Amino acid sequence: MTAMLQKKICMLGAFSVGKTSLVRRYVSSVFSDTYLTTVGVKIDKKTVDLDGRTVNLILWDLAGEDDVNALRLSYLRGAAGYVLVADGTRPATLDVALSLRGRVEADYGPLPFVLLLNKNDLPDQWTITEGDMDGLRNAGWWVRSSSARTGEGVEDAFMDLAVRTVR
Amino acid sequence: MSTSSADPLEWLLRPPSGDSRFDRKALAGLLLDIARNVRPELAAAPETAPATDIRLEQLRTLLMGHEIEVLARLSQVLDDPEQLAAAVGRILPTAFAQATGDARLGQVLAPSLEKATQTSIRNDPHTLVNILYPLIVPAIRKSIGETIDRTFQSLNETLKHSLTLRGLAWRWEAWRTGVSFAEVVLKHTLVYQVEHVFLIHRHTGLLICHVAAENAASQDPQLVSSMLTAIQDFVRDSFSGAENQGIDTMRLGELTVWSEPGPFATLVAVIRGKPPEELHDILNSALSRIHQERHQALEDFDGDSTGLADVEAELTECVALRQARPQKARFGFPWLALPAAVAVLLFFSAWAARSWQDNRRWDHYLAQLRALPGIVVTETGRRDGKFTVNGLRDPLATDPQQALGVMEISPANVISRWAPYQALDPPIVLKRLEAMLDPPPDVRLSIDGDRIKAEGSAPAAWLDRARAGARMLPSGAPILDLTGVRNVDAPVDARWQDYVARLRAQPGIVITETGQRNGKFLIAGLRDPLALDPNVALTEAGIDPAHVIARWAPYEALDPQIVVRRLQATLTPPPTVRFVVEGDRIVAQGSAPSLWLERAHMAARILPSGAPVFDLAAVKTVSDGAIGKLRDDIQARTIRFDNNEPLPAPGQDALLDQLADDLKALETLAPPLHVVARVMLTGHSDALGKGTFNLSLSLARAEAVRALLRKRGVDPDLLQVRGAGDLEPVLAQDTEAARSANRRVSFTVELEEQL
Repeated sequence: MTAMLQKKICMLGAFSVGKTSLVRRYVSSVFSDTYLTTVGVKIDKKTVDLDGRTVNLILWDLAGEDDVNALRLSYLRGAAGYVLVADGTRPATLDVALSLRGRVEADYGPLPFVLLLNKNDLPDQWTITEGDMDGLRNAGWWVRSSSARTGEGVEDAFMDLAVRTVR
Repeated sequence: MSTSSADPLEWLLRPPSGDSRFDRKALAGLLLDIARNVRPELAAAPETAPATDIRLEQLRTLLMGHEIEVLARLSQVLDDPEQLAAAVGRILPTAFAQATGDARLGQVLAPSLEKATQTSIRNDPHTLVNILYPLIVPAIRKSIGETIDRTFQSLNETLKHSLTLRGLAWRWEAWRTGVSFAEVVLKHTLVYQVEHVFLIHRHTGLLICHVAAENAASQDPQLVSSMLTAIQDFVRDSFSGAENQGIDTMRLGELTVWSEPGPFATLVAVIRGKPPEELHDILNSALSRIHQERHQALEDFDGDSTGLADVEAELTECVALRQARPQKARFGFPWLALPAAVAVLLFFSAWAARSWQDNRRWDHYLAQLRALPGIVVTETGRRDGKFTVNGLRDPLATDPQQALGVMEISPANVISRWAPYQALDPPIVLKRLEAMLDPPPDVRLSIDGDRIKAEGSAPAAWLDRARAGARMLPSGAPILDLTGVRNVDAPVDARWQDYVARLRAQPGIVITETGQRNGKFLIAGLRDPLALDPNVALTEAGIDPAHVIARWAPYEALDPQIVVRRLQATLTPPPTVRFVVEGDRIVAQGSAPSLWLERAHMAARILPSGAPVFDLAAVKTVSDGAIGKLRDDIQARTIRFDNNEPLPAPGQDALLDQLADDLKALETLAPPLHVVARVMLTGHSDALGKGTFNLSLSLARAEAVRALLRKRGVDPDLLQVRGAGDLEPVLAQDTEAARSANRRVSFTVELEEQL
């Protein structure tokens, strides 16, 4: 086995915001999605290249937060960073993301993270204004809009996070 | 506050207690100065303000009232232990919290905490038991569980196989190889192979290293290791009461996944087949080796496994673990094999009886071998059903093979290895001498204690050879005593002549007459009682004393050799003195107590005239030797003191160390020389101060030095103290230099020789 750099990254977000769809096409995945509903987590891997250095992001796709399934925060132990995913067409999911971030910060301290506002391929249903996003950016957040369908923003988000966790 | 003194304001000038720095005069002057500046017409006023003015005190209270109060409160808190404790107690938690970053805090607190824990256990062990209970009980439960598992496994297997043909074959193998039956059963039934080993960082769940067996396939090990961690977390979260544990075993068809948790990393082994419980120990010890060697790297692991590449070797060893399936062989059910088993058992018990007998014979044989001279048994055992014995054997020792025949042990059943060596046991040396010297029939060699004695008579040529042979015996071997062999070649007359010649050459023997009378030899003369015994010489010459008439008159010989013996006998010199004969002088060397030396001189003077000179010039007295030098060294030293101080002036530790070393050397040197040493520590003071005070100060100084020396290991019995006050000054002048020199402790060593 060749030695390489690995970083544990968690994917967090409300139920059905498209986390799983986001990773499905852009990462190498060996486990079936049923893990999410059974164990509450599915492990995937995303390999990025940082200035010639291979970094394996081990993605822990955590089951979506809803009224029934509370997030198992213990899965975040040892994470180098996380991806918050919200649905740009449903403002409530952004609130969930904000509250998730607060809970993670309370338990594990500040960690590098990226907020993805997903489903930007549906502009007519988009409810989050550029002002909202600028507000978050001004508060120091890394915010991107993305689309699981077109792949927009996904690669960049992982790249951003990789740079910040390795630094 | 006293008002009864002559001046009612006198107390103002007197500094109140604890306030000696308040300069009233300066304050009064300052005030006057300010007044003059404000009102120049006051310039004519008196030059000095009355320092006793009560208004000054009022002014001070006005200016400093609050501060005085605060200081008073503070000093009250500081002086009252209870208040101080309360005050410190209020800030202690904060202080500890702030100091946690400082490594010294832990170091400082550790001894107290250890002591506190010890006391707590001594007072009531239950307290600590209650604290540790939640930790200990799960560990014990787990350990017992594993042991029971192991026992059951072994029991099941044993029962299952004990009555089959295969079981009997295994019993046979167990007996043949000397391992327990249970181990043989496990060896044959537990067929397994370790296919994958993952070393997973516990905190992040990231893979540190993965090694797979050649033929094993699996998914991406990085993902597998994270998923395993996630499942562990899932189980831990889902079932309360297992917070500190995890899954240690997972089974899936033929695969078993064992997880061995360590402090920083978990070792996960994927095993195909039926692993024996002992494999846990092997995996665990590999894991602890990794932890031991790479403790820091594991703790600091942040996803970069470059620095941990070397653990791969350890994991590769784990993957190599396997128990291959033995050749397929079909055996029937136990019941079908029963008749055969009974036959085998019958045969086996007959065989066992025989084997027991063989064992006894073998033990007996070994005991006999061990008793044989020239044979050293170093190792015995059994291998492949045969007896083995290794050791050393002198070629002249009894042949071990022969002894086998006597014991009815078949030589074919014995593997023996003997390395040759030369034994020094008297019987073997005797054999060797017999083989080497081939003594004539009249000579008998026999063992006499640790000597080999030759007796009888032999030709001169053989005697010469025997003497040469005796000289060639290795050191440590028995001595060959040839004095009992008469030289048959020398006629008795010649032997008599040799004898007489030998006596003539002896100091202290003067032969006056020799001859023969009535067929006997006659010899007469003078003999110093300290000279050689003629009878002994007679026996050595092989002459029968019954054939000799000897008359010896005692006299005092003056030969140096005899005089030396006489001096040795009368003076009993101490072991440090040696007498040497140099020509016709006797020279004594070494060192001795002076009293002994006096006696020796006396003895030298009363030696008869014509006797050798007894030269005692080279003997040193005790005080000339090392002990005398030590005495001078000690006496040359002084310890200095500052004015009025009973403790030595600083900076003299090295001096005291040196002094203590010398005194300890004195302690050890004196007894062998029969010298009693006493050291007097005399304290001195300078001439300032009263005589009685100086006396007690000087004594205190001597006592202090004695205590300091005692602390350095000097026997206090050796040291005596006295105080000389200022009566024994080293310098009489009235200068500071002289006074400083006089403030000292001096040393006097008294060496008393004892005879």
